Amino acid sequence: MTIQQLIPLIIALPLIGGFINGVLGKKLPKVLVGSIATLAVFTSFFLAVTVFFQLDEAVKINLFTILKLEDFTLNARLLVDNLSIWMVLIITGVGSLIHLFSMGYMSHDEGYYKFFTYLNLFIFAMLILVLGSNYFMLFFGWEGVGICSYLLIGFHYSDAQKGMLNGLAARKAFIMNRIGDLGLLIGLFLLLAQFGTLEYTELADKILIDQIPVSTWMMFGITICLFIGATGKSAQIPLFTWLPDAMAGPTPVSALIHAATMVTAGIFLVVRSNFLFEHVGAQFTQDIMLYVGLATSLVTAFIAMRQNDIKKVLAYSTVSQLGFIFVALGMGAYTAALFHVTTHAFFKALLFLGSGSVIHAMSDEQDIRKMGGLKKFIPITHITFLIGTLAISGFPLLSGFFSKDEILAHALAHNPLIYGLLAFSALLTAVYMFRMYFVVFHGEFRGSEHAKSHLHESPLNMTLPLLVLAVLSVIGGFLNIPSLLGGHHWFSHLLEHNVGGLNKIAEVEISNGQTLMLMVSASVLTLIALFVSYSVYVKKKSVPVEDSQLTGWAKLSANKLYIDEIYNALFVKPIEWISEKGHQVIELFLLNGVISFATKTIDRSGEIVKKWQNGKTDWYILWMVFGIIGLVIYYLVKI
Amino acid sequence: MELLLIPFLFALVSLVVPSNFVRQFSLLGGIVSLIVTIGHLCSFDTNTFVSILDPSFITSFGLTCKMGYDGMSLFMVLLTNVITFLIILSNYNRDLASNRSFTALVFFMQLGLLGVFTSFDGLLFYIFWEITLIPVFLIALWYGGSDRKQALIKFFIYTFIGSLAMLLSLMAIKSYAKSFSHSDLMAVELTAKSAFWIFGGFFLAFAIKIPLFPFHTWQPNTYTTSPMAGTMLLSALMLKMALYGMIRWLIPLAPEALSDVTYPVVVLGIIGVVYAGILAIKQNDIKRLFAFASISHVGLIAAGAILYSHDNWSAVFIQMANHSLVAVGLFLSADIIEQRLGSRKLSDLGGIAKQAPRFAIMFGALVLAAISVPFSSGFIGEFMLLKGVYSYNWLIGFVAGTTLIVGAVYTLRAYQLSMYGAPKSTPFADLTWNEWLAYLIIMVTIVVFGVYPQAIIDFLSPSIDSLIESVKTINTLHK
Repeated sequence: MTIQQLIPLIIALPLIGGFINGVLGKKLPKVLVGSIATLAVFTSFFLAVTVFFQLDEAVKINLFTILKLEDFTLNARLLVDNLSIWMVLIITGVGSLIHLFSMGYMSHDEGYYKFFTYLNLFIFAMLILVLGSNYFMLFFGWEGVGICSYLLIGFHYSDAQKGMLNGLAARKAFIMNRIGDLGLLIGLFLLLAQFGTLEYTELADKILIDQIPVSTWMMFGITICLFIGATGKSAQIPLFTWLPDAMAGPTPVSALIHAATMVTAGIFLVVRSNFLFEHVGAQFTQDIMLYVGLATSLVTAFIAMRQNDIKKVLAYSTVSQLGFIFVALGMGAYTAALFHVTTHAFFKALLFLGSGSVIHAMSDEQDIRKMGGLKKFIPITHITFLIGTLAISGFPLLSGFFSKDEILAHALAHNPLIYGLLAFSALLTAVYMFRMYFVVFHGEFRGSEHAKSHLHESPLNMTLPLLVLAVLSVIGGFLNIPSLLGGHHWFSHLLEHNVGGLNKIAEVEISNGQTLMLMVSASVLTLIALFVSYSVYVKKKSVPVEDSQLTGWAKLSANKLYIDEIYNALFVKPIEWISEKGHQVIELFLLNGVISFATKTIDRSGEIVKKWQNGKTDWYILWMVFGIIGLVIYYLVKI
Repeated sequence: MELLLIPFLFALVSLVVPSNFVRQFSLLGGIVSLIVTIGHLCSFDTNTFVSILDPSFITSFGLTCKMGYDGMSLFMVLLTNVITFLIILSNYNRDLASNRSFTALVFFMQLGLLGVFTSFDGLLFYIFWEITLIPVFLIALWYGGSDRKQALIKFFIYTFIGSLAMLLSLMAIKSYAKSFSHSDLMAVELTAKSAFWIFGGFFLAFAIKIPLFPFHTWQPNTYTTSPMAGTMLLSALMLKMALYGMIRWLIPLAPEALSDVTYPVVVLGIIGVVYAGILAIKQNDIKRLFAFASISHVGLIAAGAILYSHDNWSAVFIQMANHSLVAVGLFLSADIIEQRLGSRKLSDLGGIAKQAPRFAIMFGALVLAAISVPFSSGFIGEFMLLKGVYSYNWLIGFVAGTTLIVGAVYTLRAYQLSMYGAPKSTPFADLTWNEWLAYLIIMVTIVVFGVYPQAIIDFLSPSIDSLIESVKTINTLHK
């Protein structure tokens, strides 16, 4: 089959899977439901691999015209190039592993078929997002993944205790995303107003080849709006607080949507729009992006230091890593950013699924203080979780080491101060990850006897994805080996030939000496973090204390810098106040008052003529109509 | 002509049908109208105007009784008949459905609406416009909930003032024309000043009916006290008369006034979007919440209607259809809850999803359509309308865009408070077949138009183009 046929099939398979499960799933056996969903995504992955090897140059596939208007035309059109097919590989590859994992993880859930329906629909929407050839398709997928994310975060909405809270978390995620979406939408309107099209290739041609003059302000407006959209979906300051709450969803959802794929949509958006962000007018946006990413990375790494919910730690870690990637984007290091997106998808999906396996073994306990010594009980989960921890901490030669190093190298070339701060953020990452690892897997078991008796390793369909992801987390870094180690930056070159060209990476090549220095210093920092954590949590056997006993910085960290409380006081409360007062004062008192006054006046004047009237308004209308009809008849007769 | 005769006949006959047969009879009426409409649809060439009634005489005061349809009118006729059918269908298992006079009133309403959408004579338009008031008023009065008297007096005063203003404007513009026919009225040359007043009269009537801020205060109370079918008629169809009226009558008759009035009308529309949206957030009565949501949604449509262009008017029609379908679905959901539990207060509700999974899925899908997610016609309609408003004025467009956020807040809140959590109360019976079917038809239509809106655009384009063309010609000629 040709690419022209394969790509629509790749997109359609998850949709078909979702449709079958959505309509028939309730009556089908669970194994079949799970297999249909998993197979659909896996087949897509397999087909995507064949496309990947067939693909020489960008291919466009016209599906149909959504809207043909006077001002603009919106096409359902796909664009397949190395960038989009790479994203497809991540989405379907990691996606199918997570589907497989879910078959075990969700096996006791009564909403099994619904879960897989949503999961498949999510994959479908995500594929539209990355494969679309224009911003409208991207927006379509963008909203689509948002709604799937909403449905999956609030998946356990009927839970007697937590149902409402899960719903709240889902709503918060959706609404904060919608704030970003408004930015994106206005960015789209600006693009339409300025260029009259939303097609990537046409826009890139107009800007790079035709060099249409665009004012700096316009370019700043467009790019900042797109970036605001990205801050929503990719959880950056100020719109990041939804992601930790999104952990209310089942753990495979956190792995797929809130770590590996959906949250990288904002990054994909910026990479896809590189021809806009590289425009001279967008320099200011790039700087904003850099500093927002840096601040997000540091703030959330700081918060992660004192979290005790195994998933919350990973959530803040995800936000922090995404901030890291935005720093890369702010420096124009698109391939480095995508490289880290890729490796992060491996090890963060691994860590989340590992945490899922832990939670599964612990009978739904998520507090790391009640764990401890789990390495004896769940050996496969333990070893894979350790690999994930080492990879994210940047342990030498594992995937995170290479991808982080690449970004750090860019930072050093850009500005040593930014390099310093970024390296500090990386150090914090290693510290809180090792803290969690040691507290969970080493020492003595601290849970109840009941929990202890239930401890068990997960079944094969859960451990297999862990093993595959662990292997990928180890070797993923070799995709883009720097020349110092004899590599050729294969991955960077792969993405060179894309819309607008992503070849800026080549310019920031730094000397081997510097690379070596970077690698050594990063390794040393990671090892320091490892030994400090080891001595605190294993040697001294300390266990994180109750939040109420914390003081100073630790208290701030444990309370998430009170950002939720601040947002609540600044935005939520005032709007609710306006909503209530607006109803009482304006609706019921002012506007109604005027009308009631008029009504009363009419009533009073009515007193005088009351004797001729019976006061039934329906009669009045009837009389009025009779009057009109009478008039008409009168004139008709008169003719 | 049979388009109008069918509801008329059904209205008459339903008064004498045996009472145990009224339900089936009303459903039959809905289906017959629908089939006939589809017949018209199949034989319709979008470039043409089909005349229904064109008596060759003109009465001494200028009534021509011209009736017919072009693409836009037929679209509204179709919408009316689909929605009427859906109203009858969703009402099928309610007690009211076996009530003879109620059924007659519904058909009477259908007749009035069809008249409004096919009138090409100003006076005839006015007469039908007034006729629709009777059934909807009587439905609310005879079968409404408590406090209805107070609400209905207000409703009556409001609409009466509006109608009076429209009649005055109509008379005023007629004084320059030789008849009330659409083409004659359109040809009238107005000075900016007289155009302003004529525009104002029509606009007041339409603004009250839509309703636009600040003419909306009759709406929440009337919607809440009316029985389900009444609320649906009001929100899904009656207000569409006003939006259609803006496009067919208001703008073509007095385009000379547009340069002065466009800005304030757009601003009023968008104030309504934000104001009603914010007020909806803390409503406790779910029906009242949806009433405010409706004000919020139609504000944007009205803004799109006044910003006349091919694209904006296409968007208006798409969004009108979307709003009608969503409104029927939402008020059906509110009524299902009220009927089963005896309360509409969100504070009394909770956990329904667990008790009634089919209802949860359908109501949920509808809520998603109401917040314009991809694959729903609202996604396309809202995108186009926001684009239109944004192109007119970026700041107003930005403010209007907040409906994306606020709409999600109040809609999802209403859904979650009623459906999520542990069941609070007595057993909740799941959907009956007619409710389920009504939801299904609504959802399928919304999804089809959400994926392929071009079908609507192709259907409407010729008629929209020709109307816009004539508006533009008039406007340039008179300048």
